[in-house]
Amino acid sequence: MGLAGLGLVVGLALGGPARAGDTFQRVRARGALIVATNAGWMPQSYINDDGSLSGFDIDVAREIAGRLGVKIRFETPDWSLMTGGHWHGRWDMMVGSATPTKARSHVVDFAGVYYYSPYVFVVNRKSTVRRRGDLDGKKIGVETGTTSEDYIRRRLAIDDVNAPPVVYSVRPGAVHTYANSMLPFDDLRLPPGVRLDAVLTPEQTALGAIRHGYPIRVLPDGYAFREPLTVVTDKGDPAWTTRIRGVIAAMKADGTLKTMAIRWYGKDYTS
Amino acid sequence: MHFADNIDYPPLLRRPVVFLPLLAILFVALLRADAAHWAMVQPLLGGLSLGGPGANAAVALGLTALIGGNVYLILGLKLRWQVYVVWIELALLLIVFFVSFDLSWEFIRRKLWLLVSRGLVTTLYISAISIVCASVLALAGAIAKLSSNGIAMGIANFYTSFFRGIPLLMQIYIIYLGLPQLGVVIDAVPAGIVALSLCYGAYMTEIFRGGIESVPVGQWEAARALGLKPRAIMTRVILPQAMRVIIPPTGNQFIAMLKDSSLVSVIGVWELMYLARTEGQTEFRHIEMMLTASMIYWVLSGTLELIQARIERHFGQAHVR
Repeated sequence: MGLAGLGLVVGLALGGPARAGDTFQRVRARGALIVATNAGWMPQSYINDDGSLSGFDIDVAREIAGRLGVKIRFETPDWSLMTGGHWHGRWDMMVGSATPTKARSHVVDFAGVYYYSPYVFVVNRKSTVRRRGDLDGKKIGVETGTTSEDYIRRRLAIDDVNAPPVVYSVRPGAVHTYANSMLPFDDLRLPPGVRLDAVLTPEQTALGAIRHGYPIRVLPDGYAFREPLTVVTDKGDPAWTTRIRGVIAAMKADGTLKTMAIRWYGKDYTS
Repeated sequence: MHFADNIDYPPLLRRPVVFLPLLAILFVALLRADAAHWAMVQPLLGGLSLGGPGANAAVALGLTALIGGNVYLILGLKLRWQVYVVWIELALLLIVFFVSFDLSWEFIRRKLWLLVSRGLVTTLYISAISIVCASVLALAGAIAKLSSNGIAMGIANFYTSFFRGIPLLMQIYIIYLGLPQLGVVIDAVPAGIVALSLCYGAYMTEIFRGGIESVPVGQWEAARALGLKPRAIMTRVILPQAMRVIIPPTGNQFIAMLKDSSLVSVIGVWELMYLARTEGQTEFRHIEMMLTASMIYWVLSGTLELIQARIERHFGQAHVR
């Protein structure tokens, strides 16, 4: 008994309900797939004017449900809850543009990369910064807990053999982290250097901000890095993860994903 | 004033010793704050563009005169009207402040219905259910704390200490993430309601206890001497008198709960704050959404204040001359 007994109790408590084959049976019995996703991230997934979800991630999730032959239901928990694992069967999968990092691979499974998102540095339009090299020693803003923070802190460890290699370029003077992806842009509106000199962000977010009148520009010298984005499943049901992986591979092979990416991003982000 | 004095002092703001230094401070503050360049002042100038340091002084002087004259005029009004006029003026000032942000009214109009029909409705029913549960918990907790049963007292003491002592956000996480470890997978909305009820129940236990204790011992003794049963003493004698003390802080709790219910947005409930946050994020219009949500919260708590005032009047009847 003693420690071993305690370990057994804890193990039973943390073991979770998912046994092999369980998830698919549960989904079929329910007739609906419950998908966790984000709600405030144009154009990946956002709440549109009539109060339902739209976006690239939403279309991908609908397509997966369609191919599994079930209906779909979305839930929008906090990011850290989705990527932290231990779902206890609340959600069957997550389609929310999550990067397969090493840290996350300990708590969730990755069911397959469905597109790649390029990251860019953005500066105020009045800024004197012309190249990425000018950013050394400057104040860089990133959304906390994201791959942009990992990149700028030089600790981005992607758990995907096909991912493009990551080359670190900027040595920031200070990194400012923000609770969401909008706040750094608001600080970037102020004159250069007051709160921030640059923001590291997905290209789509930057273009969205520019479209909505933010006085900023994208640094021209190519992408800082490209991150793979994957569908996520909870630990404990490899059969289910494999099934989803097969669906995603089929969607990639027949060009469905490419069509969706071009529809939402204007570019083919899938390869 | 609650107790009008029968000696006539000249009102404070009418005395030169008071208002002259105040006006001087105001003028200097406006001068240093570069008032001529405030976005709020621009509509007052009516598109007149003034340059140079002289302009700044002129604007500061103008504003000082405007504020001073305004106060002078208001002092001439009856007390009731003073309050109304100050209210309206502050509200107008707030509106001018918001308008100076250059908001997109089109965006607010487009999203308002969603905020109200989904967000507000969710906020309201979560708060309403939690308020009822919290009141029940609080009454039980207060009676337990005042009882002579050591077990009940211990449980109640532990309950108030624990749930007042840890942040509400943690309680929401503990209930949402912790209960499934015991095999109870609870949905987001019930988890939020349980957390809000437990937390506010703990605060309100103390309010109820204080209210009940504020009723003099003589009332208990008199009720006992009249042969009333313990239950009747509580419901007929003590609680009606305690209510007068309980209502004002309880009203505060209700208003606070209305706004704290926004914390359940972390577990993905589409209540008012969640929708305001995510909708603002999609089109880079979060200031619009934050202000709209704030105004909705304000109207709601204003309504609660009115209700509270009515209830207070009802239970305070014995104390009004």
